[in-house]
Amino acid sequence: MHKHILLLFSCILLGCSSKKEESPTGLAILKAELIAKKDSYIVGDSIVLKFKTDEAAPNLKLYLKNAFGTILVKSELSNNLQTFYLPENFTRKAGECHWKLIQEKTILLNGGFTIETNAEIRTRMETYFGPRSITAGGNNFSMLTIAATDIYDNTVNTETEVIIKTQFLETISEFKVPTKNLIAWYNVESTLKSGRILVTSHCNETKSKEVTTIVYPSNASDFSINASSAHDFADGNQILHLESDIIKDEYGNIVSDGTLVTFMIKDQKSSSLFTIGTTVNGVVKASTLHPSQESKWAIQAFITGVAESNTINVNFRTAIKDYPIHFTKGNRNIDIGPFESFMKQLVPDGILVQLDIYDIDGKFIETKTTTTKKGSVRFLISPEYLPDGKYKLIFKAAGITKEMIKELHGY
Amino acid sequence: MIDAEILKKKTNTLLILALIVGLAFHGSAIFFTLESTYDALIHLFFADHYANSWFDPWEYRWYTGFTVQSYPPLVHQVIGILSYIGGLKFGMYSVAIIAIILFITGVYRYTLLMTGSRRIAGYGAVLAVFSSTFVETLHIFGQLPSISALSILLHVMTEIYLWIKTGKIRYFLTSVSMLAVTVTSHHVTPIFGMVFFIAPLIGMAVMDASRERVNSYKELSFRIFWNTTLKHFSRIAKFGFTAIFLIVFCIFPYWYNSKRNPITQVAIPHGSRDNFLEITSSGLVFFIIPWGIFLFVLPYFFYRFFSKRYVFFGLSFALLTILGTGGTTPIPLLMLGETAFNILTLDRFTLWATIMALPIFAEFAYRMVEGDIKVLVQEKFGAVYHRVIGGLIAGGMLFMVLFTMSLGYFRPSQPAKIKMLPIVNFLGADSHDSWRYLPLGFGDQMAWLSAQTNAMTVDGNYHSARRLPELTTRAVERIENSKFRGVEGIGSLQQFLTVPEKYNLKYIFSNDKFYDPILYYCGWQRLQLLENGIMVWEKLNVPPIPQIMPKEDVPTIMKLMWGIIPLSTVLIAFIINIQLIWVRLLKSREIEAPSFMKLKLPYDKFPRKMLIFSHWWAFVVLICLGYGMYLFYVKNVAQLSPNNVVESYYDALDFKEFSRAHSYIDPESNIDIAQYMLEVSVTDGILSSYAKMDSLGIEIYDETPTSAKAKVATRWITPLESLYSSDFHQLIKRNNKWYLKPSNFDNDIPLDQLFTANGTTFYNHGRRKISTQDAYHEGSLNQPVLEILAAKLVKNKGQYSIIGELQNVDNVPADVVIKATLYNDNNKELANYNAKYHMKHKLMPKETTAFKINFEGIAWSSTKDTLPPTFDPDQFTPVNFEEQPTKFNLQSAGNVANTDLYKHVALQNLEKTERGFSGVLFNSGVQEVTIPQLIVSYYSKENELLWVDHSFIPEGVRIQRKQFFNYRPLELDSLEVINSSLKNCFVNGIPNETIAGKIVPNRDSSHGPRQTQPYEGNGFNSLKFEINSYIGNPK
Repeated sequence: MHKHILLLFSCILLGCSSKKEESPTGLAILKAELIAKKDSYIVGDSIVLKFKTDEAAPNLKLYLKNAFGTILVKSELSNNLQTFYLPENFTRKAGECHWKLIQEKTILLNGGFTIETNAEIRTRMETYFGPRSITAGGNNFSMLTIAATDIYDNTVNTETEVIIKTQFLETISEFKVPTKNLIAWYNVESTLKSGRILVTSHCNETKSKEVTTIVYPSNASDFSINASSAHDFADGNQILHLESDIIKDEYGNIVSDGTLVTFMIKDQKSSSLFTIGTTVNGVVKASTLHPSQESKWAIQAFITGVAESNTINVNFRTAIKDYPIHFTKGNRNIDIGPFESFMKQLVPDGILVQLDIYDIDGKFIETKTTTTKKGSVRFLISPEYLPDGKYKLIFKAAGITKEMIKELHGY
Repeated sequence: MIDAEILKKKTNTLLILALIVGLAFHGSAIFFTLESTYDALIHLFFADHYANSWFDPWEYRWYTGFTVQSYPPLVHQVIGILSYIGGLKFGMYSVAIIAIILFITGVYRYTLLMTGSRRIAGYGAVLAVFSSTFVETLHIFGQLPSISALSILLHVMTEIYLWIKTGKIRYFLTSVSMLAVTVTSHHVTPIFGMVFFIAPLIGMAVMDASRERVNSYKELSFRIFWNTTLKHFSRIAKFGFTAIFLIVFCIFPYWYNSKRNPITQVAIPHGSRDNFLEITSSGLVFFIIPWGIFLFVLPYFFYRFFSKRYVFFGLSFALLTILGTGGTTPIPLLMLGETAFNILTLDRFTLWATIMALPIFAEFAYRMVEGDIKVLVQEKFGAVYHRVIGGLIAGGMLFMVLFTMSLGYFRPSQPAKIKMLPIVNFLGADSHDSWRYLPLGFGDQMAWLSAQTNAMTVDGNYHSARRLPELTTRAVERIENSKFRGVEGIGSLQQFLTVPEKYNLKYIFSNDKFYDPILYYCGWQRLQLLENGIMVWEKLNVPPIPQIMPKEDVPTIMKLMWGIIPLSTVLIAFIINIQLIWVRLLKSREIEAPSFMKLKLPYDKFPRKMLIFSHWWAFVVLICLGYGMYLFYVKNVAQLSPNNVVESYYDALDFKEFSRAHSYIDPESNIDIAQYMLEVSVTDGILSSYAKMDSLGIEIYDETPTSAKAKVATRWITPLESLYSSDFHQLIKRNNKWYLKPSNFDNDIPLDQLFTANGTTFYNHGRRKISTQDAYHEGSLNQPVLEILAAKLVKNKGQYSIIGELQNVDNVPADVVIKATLYNDNNKELANYNAKYHMKHKLMPKETTAFKINFEGIAWSSTKDTLPPTFDPDQFTPVNFEEQPTKFNLQSAGNVANTDLYKHVALQNLEKTERGFSGVLFNSGVQEVTIPQLIVSYYSKENELLWVDHSFIPEGVRIQRKQFFNYRPLELDSLEVINSSLKNCFVNGIPNETIAGKIVPNRDSSHGPRQTQPYEGNGFNSLKFEINSYIGNPK
């Protein structure tokens, strides 16, 4: 047991002991010289730096720094010639490249060179275009941004020419834009006409694909509307059609499909009614039902905040001039009608008839409503619900109110 | 006799019979029942978790992440392991079959222990197969872990008894090894099992030991019992402490998690806590079914349980019976205390009581079939009577089994089975699982969906594990079935729908069209109908789930314990017990009969008084049942009274049983069924298509012997808000039956047969290039430009709201999302929320909408102080601030919309009456508007926006037809405008100011005022009506 502990202890001690640093051998500082000095390379070329030293020295290193990063490169030695091969990653990065030749901690030489973008081999392009839709009128634009690079993703040299072509209607225009700050850009101004502008670009024989911006019409300008209907009687059944002329913006473009137009209708009681339509090819159509009583409508259409129409007046004549009321079975069976329309025809089904029942002192009891069928309606007031007695009955239909006092008795 | 039985040791034919019948019956029935039970699929989901990541307890797929260490893992892990053989469902069915076997054999051994007779134990096994409580727990509730744990507990009991009695270390090992398995299957069973099963069992063991020291039970005094207890104390203590250690140790991560994440969930109502007399459906499910035929034998149970040997079981049984009555009596609440009462589901007490009574029932059956009761009954009432009674009991038992099994068929608790594959494929395609989804109307099948996909949902089906305060503060089981939780459920759902970007919630799978209107009005849109009939809804402008999600990690030791211990307990128990099982099963060698076999009773003299009393008791039970049925009949005979007929009529309408509804219509009104159905079918709208009746108030007046009038006030739960509707009906009595007089239908007919309409439709390609790479530029459209025309922070009736007006100034339709944040004077954020349905979410080019943002409970930054105790979307709880909001920030975002752009509803007539406005809407297009909504903005004399209100019109507007409505303007006398600056308003992230001048530089601001309706109201001068239409079935 003791032996083991001793062994362990000695092991620990051994582990703690340190090897003494060897002192530098005091190698003399070398003199080095760069052979075949070159100030610029083309990106992608292999770069080799060769140094000639006055003595054979195995331990020289090259410290390299460019946009890619920093690295120490070991030399390959033959006689007094130290050869450094730059790694591929460094040779593919365009821009300044600095080096330092190092022996131990001493810098023997330093220098630098530039790596030029390779314009000869295929240029690559990335183009960005947006927004993809603009409004006609000239104060809106889409921007085309082009980043042209060589195959190693180094941007092309400043002032490299990029050709931009745009097509709108019959015109194809061409512009030359030099790159600056790594990119080339061009604003495609909106046109006065709506439509589609196609844009493309090339640089060093490389072509981009086609990109598009759509020029939407500008805001609508004022327009006019008209109304049409089968007749002008207030029968509560016919449909009043409202239609605009072709709504255009100030440059003559038809407003985009789906633009919402509100037709405001003010009637003689200053109620604000409305109906809504959306444009198709600039024309908006909307419809609403004829009123069921004599009315004077003033109609104006709005594209809210943007444009408005003229005001048109549509008047509806009374279709139902009067209606008879028949009481039978102790005044409990009330037949109203026939409702006759403007040609003495029976009104279409569905005219609302309302009966308000008050007691003789004017106290409200009940409202009954129903709609006409085959030109007339019938109210049945059975004695279970309304005992015999005098009542005030108010009938309302087609804007005509009739009031009468009747005695209900028997059945 | 006893000796002969022990010596022969024949295989117990009754037990074999029970196993065969049990496996054949339950084993085949589970394939038709288990998947539509409440719980089974939840366990399947957990099993899927273990199958995918055994050791990592964090599960991202539910509730924005939760830990599975919140439920004992054994059953889930076993299913998970078996799933490698034949899939998850194979695992589940295998475990269910094992549970069935364990249950039948468990009852056999428990009965053997209690009665000492192999014959009676055989009866017990057979009765266990047909026990309605087991049928219900397995086939209706699907509580696999609970059944497994209980079955093993029944097996343990014999071992514990023998350990206490004999002190042999072998029995100690067998009992604790099996107890460990119980603990890892289900935590509640062993804890309560200690109290209700094991404590009386120990009592009985000591009692038996005491009995052996004297000659008869009469000589057994308390003194002797006490001395025996002291003698056995060390064994009891050893077992007790080991048991407690096992309960703590085996599922230690569970306790650790409970401590760290205490359940904050507010109590969710459970049927077992109801008053069974009031809510008879709960009484049926949680009392009548589990007890079943046992109800008639209750006196016998008490008679036997309160004999000296069983007295501890008697106490336990009495306690369980009382606790199982739920809210019917105040006793359970008093005994358990408020907290425990609201957390526990009390049906488990009834389950335990009925299982506990099984041996006694087996004993009763034995005595009835071939014992002293038979003799006594035959002697007293004759052989025929005995046979009839026997037949009735057996028939009653079978009836309860059939009735229970058929419940799931005739009154399904789940929606019809949904094919999940199309949903799973949808979620897997096109990165749809980068967002969360929410199923609606899936029932418990949502767990099965979750188990099949990697996509995450905000919902979940294990509410104890919830973490989101939006969920824990609501007594809502799942958001998925929120309509069944009334106003509170709908409110909870609305919060998720209104602010979906908070949860990265983008897709909703709707299996219930009830929710469609709220989806539409919260700004969701239909995406596609899957081939299984599920509608997919999506929401625009929702960011995907971030790559890094929050996770609560636990120490590695916890993960290891959780992953290793449960299955190890099974292995250990198996190794320890295998020898015994082997010997018992194959009778390979003689083993000494356990001591309790000696305690078999002779059953030679059944007391006459007991027989008489039992008859009286059965008579009382029958009368109670009969009375219950009579009440049920009177309540449900439709035409017995005016009240009944109205109630039945509305009930029929609520369940859309129109032919039944028609049968309540006055036959002399000459409306035949065809006409009635036609008239009903043409009425559409929120009330007839999307409402569930919540309450019905009927006031009968002017009643004469043959006629009456009824004023009916109904409250309907709709997905949008609760609606009140009141109707008048005339009632008439003909041939002793009450009828309703039919109401008038609108005779309006449209002008023409054929209508034509032109319009613009839009389509967005989404992904144009078939590529899985993100399309940064090409696949996306410009966001439509909006302009905020007005925005104000106002305080009305103590409630803060942001109101305003906004226009789509672009050339394409826009889907609009508005989010507002409130700040106080020190720029401290107080609350943020989105616009719900007080706006039009879809705008055509140049369309305007008014909007209002209310700040609901979860909007406020400190949720705790401000949350109203119960949520009611109609009733806003004003929040009491010390810091008053004075500023706001409004972020609006537009996205190109291409659906739900129907605008063709006109305001055709408007009249001012003393009851507000009565107006007419006219649908001038060719789509049927199911739910029209009015958005009403209020303006001051200076045409400044003051307030925005809304109103849903209960009936739809059919194509080319009119719909009448009433709107009563509000009183705005207490309104206060706090801030109306547009400075902090943004559109698509760009300040509104820079947009305002650019797109519409020459805005004519007079257009707004010229579209308003002058009205001299209280606090305002004019109104503007806007119409938002929901189309239920777009064509």
